[in-house]
Amino acid sequence: MGMLNVLVTVSLAYVTFLFMVAFFADRAAARGRSKWLQSPLIYTLSLSIYCTAWTFYGAVGYAARSGVEFLTIYLGPSIVMIGWWLILRKLVRIGRSQRVTSIADLISSRFGKSNSLAVVVTVIAVVGTTPYIALQLQSVTLALDAFAGEEVTPSVGPSATALWLAVGLALFTVLFGTRNLDANERHDGVVMAIAVEAVVKLVALVAVGLFVIWGIGGGIGPTMERISQSEIARWDVSAGRWMGLMFLSSAALLTLPRMFQVMVVENEDERHLATASWAFPAYLLLMSLFVVPIAVLGLEYMPDGANPDLFVLTLPLAEGRNTLAMLSFLGGFSSATSMVIVAAIALSTMVSNHIVMPIWLSTQGSTAMVAGDVRHVVLLSRRLSIMGVLTLGYLYHHTTGGGEALASIGLISFAGVAQTLPALLGGIFWRGATRVGALMGMVVGFVLWAYTLFMPSFGPEVFMSETFLREGPFGWGWLRPEALFGIASSDPVVHSVVWSMSLNTFTFFIFSLISFPTPLERLQGAQFVNVFDHSARPGSWSRGLAEAEDLLVMAQRILGPSEAQSLFRSEAVSQGITGYLPETTPEFLQRLEREMAGSVGAATAHAMVGQILGRASVTVEDLMAVADETAQIMEYSNQLEAKSAELTRTARQLRAANEKLTQMSVQKDAFLSQISHELRTPMTSIRAFSEILRDGGLDDAALAKYAGIIHDEAIRLTRLLDDLLDLSVLENGQVSLNERVGKIGDVLNQAVAAAGIENSRLRVVRSKVREDLMIYTDLDRLSQVFINLISNALKYCDAARPRLEVSIRDLGDTLAIDFIDNGSGIPMASQDVIFEKFSRVGSDQAAGGAGLGLAICREIMHRLGGTVSYLPGQGGGAFRVILPVTVVRSGR
Amino acid sequence: MARKPENPIFLERERYRMRRLMDAARLAPVLAAFLFLLPLMWSASEAVKTASVLVYLFAAWGLLTAVTAFLSRKLHKIPRDKWQERP
Repeated sequence: MGMLNVLVTVSLAYVTFLFMVAFFADRAAARGRSKWLQSPLIYTLSLSIYCTAWTFYGAVGYAARSGVEFLTIYLGPSIVMIGWWLILRKLVRIGRSQRVTSIADLISSRFGKSNSLAVVVTVIAVVGTTPYIALQLQSVTLALDAFAGEEVTPSVGPSATALWLAVGLALFTVLFGTRNLDANERHDGVVMAIAVEAVVKLVALVAVGLFVIWGIGGGIGPTMERISQSEIARWDVSAGRWMGLMFLSSAALLTLPRMFQVMVVENEDERHLATASWAFPAYLLLMSLFVVPIAVLGLEYMPDGANPDLFVLTLPLAEGRNTLAMLSFLGGFSSATSMVIVAAIALSTMVSNHIVMPIWLSTQGSTAMVAGDVRHVVLLSRRLSIMGVLTLGYLYHHTTGGGEALASIGLISFAGVAQTLPALLGGIFWRGATRVGALMGMVVGFVLWAYTLFMPSFGPEVFMSETFLREGPFGWGWLRPEALFGIASSDPVVHSVVWSMSLNTFTFFIFSLISFPTPLERLQGAQFVNVFDHSARPGSWSRGLAEAEDLLVMAQRILGPSEAQSLFRSEAVSQGITGYLPETTPEFLQRLEREMAGSVGAATAHAMVGQILGRASVTVEDLMAVADETAQIMEYSNQLEAKSAELTRTARQLRAANEKLTQMSVQKDAFLSQISHELRTPMTSIRAFSEILRDGGLDDAALAKYAGIIHDEAIRLTRLLDDLLDLSVLENGQVSLNERVGKIGDVLNQAVAAAGIENSRLRVVRSKVREDLMIYTDLDRLSQVFINLISNALKYCDAARPRLEVSIRDLGDTLAIDFIDNGSGIPMASQDVIFEKFSRVGSDQAAGGAGLGLAICREIMHRLGGTVSYLPGQGGGAFRVILPVTVVRSGR
Repeated sequence: MARKPENPIFLERERYRMRRLMDAARLAPVLAAFLFLLPLMWSASEAVKTASVLVYLFAAWGLLTAVTAFLSRKLHKIPRDKWQERP
C-alpha cells in the first residue's frame, strides 16, 4: 500500500502546486505584471496540449503495434506550423481583429454571424471531443492501476478514480477558466499552468527515454541494433495510412477546439507565432524521439500480454526505478489534465455562447434591455457548461468502460472535428464561400463520419447490428458503413476520412456556387479573406434610430461599467464630441459589436445590437466597399473616404460649436437679466428695510429683526459676488494652487462634513475601496468641488429616499470619483449646458443657487488638470470627477 | 499620383529581399511535406529497416526546424504592418 500512498501524496502536492501557479499567474496578470506571462516561450509551451495522454502513453503503444506510423501524428502538425505564414498567421490575425472566442464563433462570424452554423460546429466539437476527454480519464485510471498492481481496494475502483479526477478538473477549470468574463477571452492562470505541465511531460518522457537507452539498452548503437531485431524492424507502412493520417493530424491542429483556443484565442501577440513555428515542431520532435526505443525495449523486457500503452510507466517500475516511474506518472497526469482543462474551456465557451445564451435571451422576451447584469448569467452558463462537458466525458468513460486501445479513439475524434476544415479554410481564403455551402458541407461530412467511423467503432450490436455492418442497411451492399459504394478499404479510418472529407468539400463547393450570400455574409467574407489589406473596414449597421444611451446601458451590462464607459468615451472623443454619448455611426456600432463579441460571441452580440437598433441591414456604402476590387479604385475611394470622414468630423464639430454658441448667446442675455435680478432682490430688501430704519420709531425687537434681514441680504450679495470673483479668477488663470499631499478619503470626509447634510434626509453611501490612495493636489479646491457635487445632490435629488453613492475607480491612466444619486437625473437636453454659468435645470429658483456651482467646479478641475462631467445612463444624476494619475502617483 | 522620391536602390533591394523571404516561408511546408512523404518511395524496394527510416525522418525534421527558425527570425524583424499579402 506504501507505494500507492506516496503516489497519491505526490500527485496531490503536484495539483496544489498547479493551483498555486495558476493563482499567482492570474494575480500577476491582474496587476498588469504579465510581461513574462506573455512571452513566445509560454505561448509555444501552451500549444503542447496537442500532446495529450494519447501521446504520452499511447504513442509507445502505437509504435509497438505499427512501428514508425505513429510519427504521422506529429509530422502533420509540424508541416502546418512550418507553414505558419500561409494559414496560421491569417487565422490569428482574423481571430484578433474579429474578437473571435472559439472556432464555432469564427465560422459563424465569417458566414454572416449565423448562429445555426455555430450550433452545428459546437455539436461536432462536443461529439468529437467527449470520447477524447473520456480517453484522458481512462489513461490516468489505467496508470494508477499499473502503479497499484494488486493493491487496488474495491472501494477505490477505476470508476471512482475517474469520477474524482473529473470533479477535480471541473473545479480547476471553473476556478481559473471563468474567473472573469475577459473582454478578449484570455486565461493567464490556465495558460501558465499548462506551460508548466508541458515542461513536466517533456522532462518525464525524455527522462524515461534516456533511462531506457542508457540504463537498459546500453547506449545508442546497441539500442539501434535492438530496434533492427525487434518485431517492428521492417519498414512496411501503407501509403494510404501514412498520407491519410498525416493529413488528419494537420487538420486536427487547425480544427481541434482546444488547439484553436490556445493558438488563436489565447494568443497575445501575432509574433509569438514566428517563434512557435520552429519551437513547437522542435517540442514535438523531442516528444517523439524516444518513443520507438521505449516501445522496442518494452516489447523485449515486459512479459507477453503487458499493455504496450503503459510501457512508459511499467518499464521503469519493472526495473525498480520508482522515482522515475513517479515522474512518468506525473507526466501522463499532466498530459491528461491540461488537455481536459483547455478542451472544457473551449467547449463550454461554444456551448454557452451559441446554445445556452441564445436560448436564455429568447426567453427574456424581445428586448435586449434585460434586467440585471448579463455578465453573471454568461459566467453561470459557462460554469454549468464546463460541468456538463466533464459530466459527458465521465459518463462516456463509465458506459464504455474503457478497454479499447487508446489510439483508436484519438483518430476517430480527429476525423470528427476535421469536418469543420473545409468551411474554415474556404471561409478565410475564398470570398465565394457561403453559409449554405458551409452548413451543407459540414452536415454531410459529420453524418458520413458518424455512419462510417464513429458508430461502427463501438463494435457490433451497440448502434449497428452485425448484419448491418456486414451487408449494409436493408441488405444494400453499397451502403455498408465500412465499404461505401462497394469500395472496401483495408483501413476504416482512411476509408471514412476519404469519403467524409471529399464529399464534405464537394458539397461545400457546389452549394457555395449555387447559393447567393446575404450582404452581411459578403461583407464578412471580404473582411476575412482580405484581412491583411484592410483590417478596419466600414461597418455593417445602417445609421438607425439607435439611442446611444440605450446602447450604453446594454454595453455596461455585458462589458462592465468602466470598460463600456471608456469605450463610449474614446469613440466620442474621436468623433470630436465631449461627453459619453457618441453618434451611432456604423463604424462605432461595429466596434461596439466586436467588443461585445469578445464576451458573448459574434452572433449573440449582433443579435443584441440588432434588437436595440430595430433592424439589421447593410448600407449601400458597405456593399460598394465590398464590390471595389481594383487597387486604383480602392486608393481613390480611400482618399475620398478619408476626406469625407474629415468633412463629416468638421461638420459635426461645427454643428456642435454652433449649437453651443447659440445657447451661449441666449445665456449671455440671460446672464445680464439674471445678474441684475440676483443683485436686485437683495438690494430691494436692503433699501426697503434701511428706509424703515431711517424713519425711526421702532422698538428694539423690530430694530434687531430689520437689521438682521439687512445683514443676511448683504451676506447673500457678498457670496454671490465672491462666487463671481472666484469664477473670473479661475477663468483668467490667475489662481495660485496650494498643492500638498493628502488622503483622498480625508478630502471626502471633509467635503461630506461641510456640505451640511446632517439634518437632511440624504444618505451618502461610500465604498471605502481605494479611499486610502494618497494624492498630491490642491486639496481645498478639490474639496470645494466635492462639496458642490454633494450639495447639488442634496438640492436636486427628488427620490423619496434620496441616496448618494460615492465610489472611486481606477481607470488605468486616470482616477475617477463618481457621485451617483437615485433621483431622476438630468434630461438629455440639459446635459450639455449644466456646466455653464447661471444654468439651472428647470425653474428651481427655490433651490436658492445662482447656478455658478458647477461652472466653478469645472474651472477648478481644469486648473487641477482633471475634468468633471456628467455621466449618463446610471439611473440617476451622476457626476464623474477625473484626476490625472500623475497627481495620484506623485502622491505615493 | 506622383511617386514620392525615395532612395531607390537601397529601398527596392530591401523590399525585394523581404518578398523573397516571404516566398521562402510559403514554400517551407511544401518542402516539409516532400521530405516526410519521401520514405513511401522506399517501401517498395528491398527490406528497409525501421531504424534507418527513423534516423532519416528525425534528421529531416531537425533540418526543417532549423530552416524555419532561420526564416522566422528574419521575418520577425519585419514590422508587423508590412506583413501583407500584396505590395
